[in-house]
Amino acid sequence: MSALRSILDRLGPHFSPEGRWARYAPLYEMVDTIFYTPAIATSSAPHVRDAVDMKRSMATVIIALLPVLLFGIFNTGYLAGPERGVVWQIQTGLGAVLPLVLVSYIVGGVWELLFAVIRRHEINEGFLVTGLLLPLTLPPDIPLWMVAAGISFGVVIGKEVTGGTGYNIFNPALVARAFIFFAYPSEMSGDAVWSLADEMTRATPLAVASSLQGADGVHLIEQAGYSLQQLFIGMVPGSVGGTSKAAILLGALVLLVTRIANWRIMAGGLLGLVLAAAGANLMAPSFDNPVLYLTPLHHLLTGGFAFGLVFMATDPVSASQTDRGRWIYGMMIGALVVMIRVLNQAFVEGVMLAILLGNAFAAMIDYMVLRQNIAKRQRAYAKQ
Amino acid sequence: MGVITIRKGHDLALAGVPEKRLENLSRPLEVDLFPSDFRGLKPRMLVREGDRVEAGSPVFFDKRFPDVMFTAPASGMITSVIRGERRVLERITIDVDHRERFREFTRHNMDWIASLGPSVIRDELLSSGLWPVIRQRPFSVIADPGKPPKAVFVPAMPTAPFAPDILLQLEGREEEFAAGLRALARMTGTPVHVVIHADNRSPLFSGLGSVELHRFRGPHPAGNVGIHIHHIAPIRHREDRVWYVLPQDVARIGGLFLSGRLPVEKVIAVGGEPLRERHYLKVRHGVRLQDILKGNVPEGPARIISGDVLAGTGRAPGDPLGFYDEVVSVIPEKQERDFMGWLLPGFRKYSVTRLFPSGYRGMKSASLTTSMNGSRRVMIPFGNIESVLPMDILPTWLIKMILARDIDEMEKLGIYECDPEDFALCSFVDASKMEISEIIREGLEYIEKNG
Repeated sequence: MSALRSILDRLGPHFSPEGRWARYAPLYEMVDTIFYTPAIATSSAPHVRDAVDMKRSMATVIIALLPVLLFGIFNTGYLAGPERGVVWQIQTGLGAVLPLVLVSYIVGGVWELLFAVIRRHEINEGFLVTGLLLPLTLPPDIPLWMVAAGISFGVVIGKEVTGGTGYNIFNPALVARAFIFFAYPSEMSGDAVWSLADEMTRATPLAVASSLQGADGVHLIEQAGYSLQQLFIGMVPGSVGGTSKAAILLGALVLLVTRIANWRIMAGGLLGLVLAAAGANLMAPSFDNPVLYLTPLHHLLTGGFAFGLVFMATDPVSASQTDRGRWIYGMMIGALVVMIRVLNQAFVEGVMLAILLGNAFAAMIDYMVLRQNIAKRQRAYAKQ
Repeated sequence: MGVITIRKGHDLALAGVPEKRLENLSRPLEVDLFPSDFRGLKPRMLVREGDRVEAGSPVFFDKRFPDVMFTAPASGMITSVIRGERRVLERITIDVDHRERFREFTRHNMDWIASLGPSVIRDELLSSGLWPVIRQRPFSVIADPGKPPKAVFVPAMPTAPFAPDILLQLEGREEEFAAGLRALARMTGTPVHVVIHADNRSPLFSGLGSVELHRFRGPHPAGNVGIHIHHIAPIRHREDRVWYVLPQDVARIGGLFLSGRLPVEKVIAVGGEPLRERHYLKVRHGVRLQDILKGNVPEGPARIISGDVLAGTGRAPGDPLGFYDEVVSVIPEKQERDFMGWLLPGFRKYSVTRLFPSGYRGMKSASLTTSMNGSRRVMIPFGNIESVLPMDILPTWLIKMILARDIDEMEKLGIYECDPEDFALCSFVDASKMEISEIIREGLEYIEKNG
């Protein structure tokens, strides 16, 4: 290992501000700190620092995403040939999902690098998460060039134009997905896109629930052969990472136990979903809309809500950043998901839009919380 | 009286905790005065090289408040006055006499103190050089003798890493401590708030008639005076002054009135992994760190800090102990680069977060070095910062407003209640390795000049 160290040490001076490759310093910093913990020492108080850093934090998110990714690979293969053996299914799944992930990482990574060099900032580990999140929200069958176009849009417009990581208003992976969704709707909706093999096509549970006016959405799902247990395990059509609530639950546990994701957002999201769905259930008998019948549990187990809430709504940058704000933000997303699903039956999946709307309001929610804090302080002062 | 319980914070389990074993450090041959120990001071010399001083006689004063004298902690000859760039006074060295002479002040007995006039007490503190032990918030500067405070705080429950035990600090000085509190209460005519730990049952604090006793409980920074002020008498605005004095300095004030001499010693704790001897020492004010560490040289490369690791200042061995510091911490200066460190499980990594296995087992003695443990990144609000700040302050926004130099918003968000030391743990836990304490310091300096 010391050989690598000595190579890096020999190259290092060229990337220093006086070196001939000074422009590419972010690249060197990236490679150098991937292999070795940085040599920086504290220069002022506090003289000691916690072992946590951005790499560790983001690596934890990747670990939380692994169950979802692995299950997604299996499920993609399984849906393509339920009768074939597990080995074939995994091979097929890998063959479909890995290219998505690689294209997302490589194309997005090039943009990230380009902006880091031009704008002279470090390469941010947050991209590792964005680059993995996008493929997990896509149908497995999507053409690779669309992934490339999507991640480019997400990284450049969703993140870099507003100042890069930490300054983005919207979750870049969601921006990328929204771009693909609106630019190439035929590849992102309908029943055919969710399976690799066309003859295996099956409608997603959410599409089933909204398929017949005047019916009960819960019945429709049951008739289509989707039991709650199946929905929980996730061997059903859907986006690569979004189907298995069991895998998502594992990821959620990792995020919550490590406190990387804020539990208030998740709790708020669930609460908002339950309240809105209960409200919808009350209204169901008076309308023809089948989605109104869906119980909170059905809402939770179908579609991408669980995935979005756990991995995308909790993005600390684009979410609200105050504790009280996080509750409001989460509840808003939970309620919006139900509302969009009910009102917009053409594109019954509402999570993406709900979270993007939540992102848009996050800053305003924080502003309100901030003013409250200020007003409270002033009242406390007046009393003294 | 109720107990105020602090939940947010963290007690740093730093290896090399000082044993509770008090030893006397022999009289140093030389002592130094460091005007930079005092924030915002504009010193003007009163003596020259070659002059002789007694313990307690003035050496320099503050141009802004000419009454505030800074006096010699030992009798002897001024051997050098060192000035730096633009003739800024950097260091004054006194060669200590074998037989010391003390400047004599008026002696009082305990009962007289309560009947002394406030201005008598004030003048005695000013001329003896004890006035600078009284600091004021906002800004943590030496108290302005012309502007009375709304309250005086004595934080008597140190929670900083290695901070000396409060009872050992005051052992044998109980009467002086009581006298000092009495003098402070008499001088200011405002409530004197003494804050002790909820479990502190020492009779030392039970019979103090003239003060308001508060009890706090919780992890560091529960013992910081800024936290006490925040919970008891928050600072409303710039002119809303609170004074604070460390317990040992209260005892020095009492000692001055009772003995008629300037008390020149304090109890400090010396600790850290690279040291063999980790103990309490009774030392002279102005003593050099190398004298404190005599025969106890750190093993391997190490950083010597005057103060605790969270808020102290790194100093050279030849520099003196800081005027307000009661701890000398030594930590390894290690810059080993771990291969793929971010990917390893990290069983021995020290972290407040739950991102390392060590975070779940409770860290007993993880070794912390001067390593930054990561590289600087943009601010990502994971919530680490908030989890160690027990104040109703929104740190993320305050930091942003400071960086934007928006005075109006800084004031609204409560910057006058803040002090860098209360944010030290925020810097410690931040995943993006921002210098949050330094940012708070910058904000306070900016608002002090331009506000």
